Amino acid sequence: MKKILVIDDEHIVRVSCQRTLTPEGFEVIIASSGSEGLELLEKGPVDLVLLDLKMPDMDGVEVLNEIKAKWPDTNVMMVTGYSSVETAVKTLKLGALNYIEKPFTPETLLTAVNEVFKS
Amino acid sequence: MKNIFRDPRKSLAAKLIIAIGLLMVVGSFIFWFSILHKQEKDIMSIAVNYGGSFIDYVKRRTSFSMLTDHRAVIQQTLEDISMAEGVERVRIFDHDGNISYSTDRPSVGSSVDRDTLACRGCHVEAKSDFQLLSERKTWSVYKDSLGFTALKLVEPIRNEITCYTSDCHVHPQEQKILGFIEADMSLALLDKAKFKQGLALTAYVLVFFLAISVALGIILWKIVSKPVTELTLGMGKVAEGDFNYSVPIKSMDEIGVLTSTFNSMIKDIKAARDQRELWTQTLEAEIAKQTEEIQKTHASLLQTEKLASLGRMAAGVAHEINNPLTGVVTFSHLMLQRVPPDSLDAEDLKVIIEQADRCSKIIRNLLTFSRATPSEKGEINVNNVLSRTIYMVKNQEKFHNIKFNTSIDDTQFISDGDPSQFQQICLNMFLNAADAMNGRGEITVATRKITENGKNYVETEFTDTGSGIKQEDMEKLFEPFFTTKPVDKGTGLGLSVSHGIVKHLGGEIKVSSTVGKGTSFFVRLPLKEQRT
Repeated sequence: MKKILVIDDEHIVRVSCQRTLTPEGFEVIIASSGSEGLELLEKGPVDLVLLDLKMPDMDGVEVLNEIKAKWPDTNVMMVTGYSSVETAVKTLKLGALNYIEKPFTPETLLTAVNEVFKS
Repeated sequence: MKNIFRDPRKSLAAKLIIAIGLLMVVGSFIFWFSILHKQEKDIMSIAVNYGGSFIDYVKRRTSFSMLTDHRAVIQQTLEDISMAEGVERVRIFDHDGNISYSTDRPSVGSSVDRDTLACRGCHVEAKSDFQLLSERKTWSVYKDSLGFTALKLVEPIRNEITCYTSDCHVHPQEQKILGFIEADMSLALLDKAKFKQGLALTAYVLVFFLAISVALGIILWKIVSKPVTELTLGMGKVAEGDFNYSVPIKSMDEIGVLTSTFNSMIKDIKAARDQRELWTQTLEAEIAKQTEEIQKTHASLLQTEKLASLGRMAAGVAHEINNPLTGVVTFSHLMLQRVPPDSLDAEDLKVIIEQADRCSKIIRNLLTFSRATPSEKGEINVNNVLSRTIYMVKNQEKFHNIKFNTSIDDTQFISDGDPSQFQQICLNMFLNAADAMNGRGEITVATRKITENGKNYVETEFTDTGSGIKQEDMEKLFEPFFTTKPVDKGTGLGLSVSHGIVKHLGGEIKVSSTVGKGTSFFVRLPLKEQRT
């Protein structure tokens, strides 16, 4: 079973991801901040990290750098509001695999996640 | 004339008259003096001539008596002759000065004064008999006791054969000069005539002098003083500011040239002043124009600032709404999967999803307006994008009754930017035009190159024949959510989004509209290059 970590400060986004991905056979763990997400990663590896770009304490780019420094093989997909797509594109160069824009439909999320595991 | 002599130091004519007058006085005096002197000389010459004849006459009258030695007859003859007018005295004396005969009888027998003309006419020294003057003087002029001019003439009586062969044997043959005849003649009549003539001459000279002076004065007044006074008057008027004054030119002489130079100088000054006034006016107009432009720019800056802050606010709001919207979208989709496909619940959920989509679109537009949207770096080929968009909209039902007038040629206007964003602007313009015309009318599309403040732009014109925009709506045109369309028809984001994109690309949108006639939008983008 593939393990997915969702890092987002918004409760509703975390829940949306959980409710979309769990029925599809993914194990979803959640973190409400960048530091919490990194702590969870310390405990054990995950197959994919869904990472929000805009968060209060550590923003998505910092978290991404940390993850890529410590666990370079971890897949990371960015989740972003429309306003920060340019930053999202930048993150692709930093090692993120893909990004999806909020608000996303369950279908969009599933397609993007499956795309990661297919390759 | 009065002006000339009021203050001679200040009058050119007076100076000239005085100078010429002085020259004339000197000239007249020399003339007068020369004439008088010449006259006197001529008169004297004539008098001497006549005097000579008189002595010759006396000699001939007494000659016979001399030869016959009739001494009483000689004395008588002299006395007779002296009765004639003008004859003062006649005397005959020998070489030693002893008076033999005289009209003044008591002086007979006495000696003549040694300083008299008879002696001094020939001899250097009165007592020396041998020293003679080189030129003999036979006459002299003096003043008589009454103050009149008198002429004294002396003629020697030379020894001749008849003298020393005469029976009386008074004179020996060796004696060269026997004696002298001396005559004193009064020139009183000539003096009087000369005085009268002198008087007349003086009068003539004075009259001539006066006449010349007056004539000269009048001429100078006419040709110098009057024109100079007129010129001075003209200068005074000009100094007071009357630049239209022109001094009349009455002659072609130096003063005429001076006047004409003065007139043309005034004309030049007037032209220069008029030019200066014109410049001042132009400058004022320019300042007014610049002020207006500054005010416009200021208003435009305020508007831009307002739109920018609105944009920032909209971006913030949009971003925050994205999160809850994610929940709405996710859960409505999940629910839709659980309910039976044709149930009423499914229909309701579809409405929720649809409206959530609409929200999502509004947010996208808002973020575009705030320039937060991503833009592909690329080239906008303005005419290409326009043609494509026109082709696309023409087939839409909304544009079936709209005629497109396009004046787009093969020129390729290239601008930096995302072509899809420019297409979005064009599409928005066409949709607005169609709405303004209620789907019936004409849309004119044209592109052109313009240059403003040294920069080149490609300008795309969108002109419709619609209802036009009211003046009070003009200011709010680019504000987000401002719309005149019915609530469900327009979001009020089209123009603000277009504005955001164009501003981001370094261009601008201009509008001109007449209510009831239509509206023109001019979208200007910086022109990178122009290919033909």
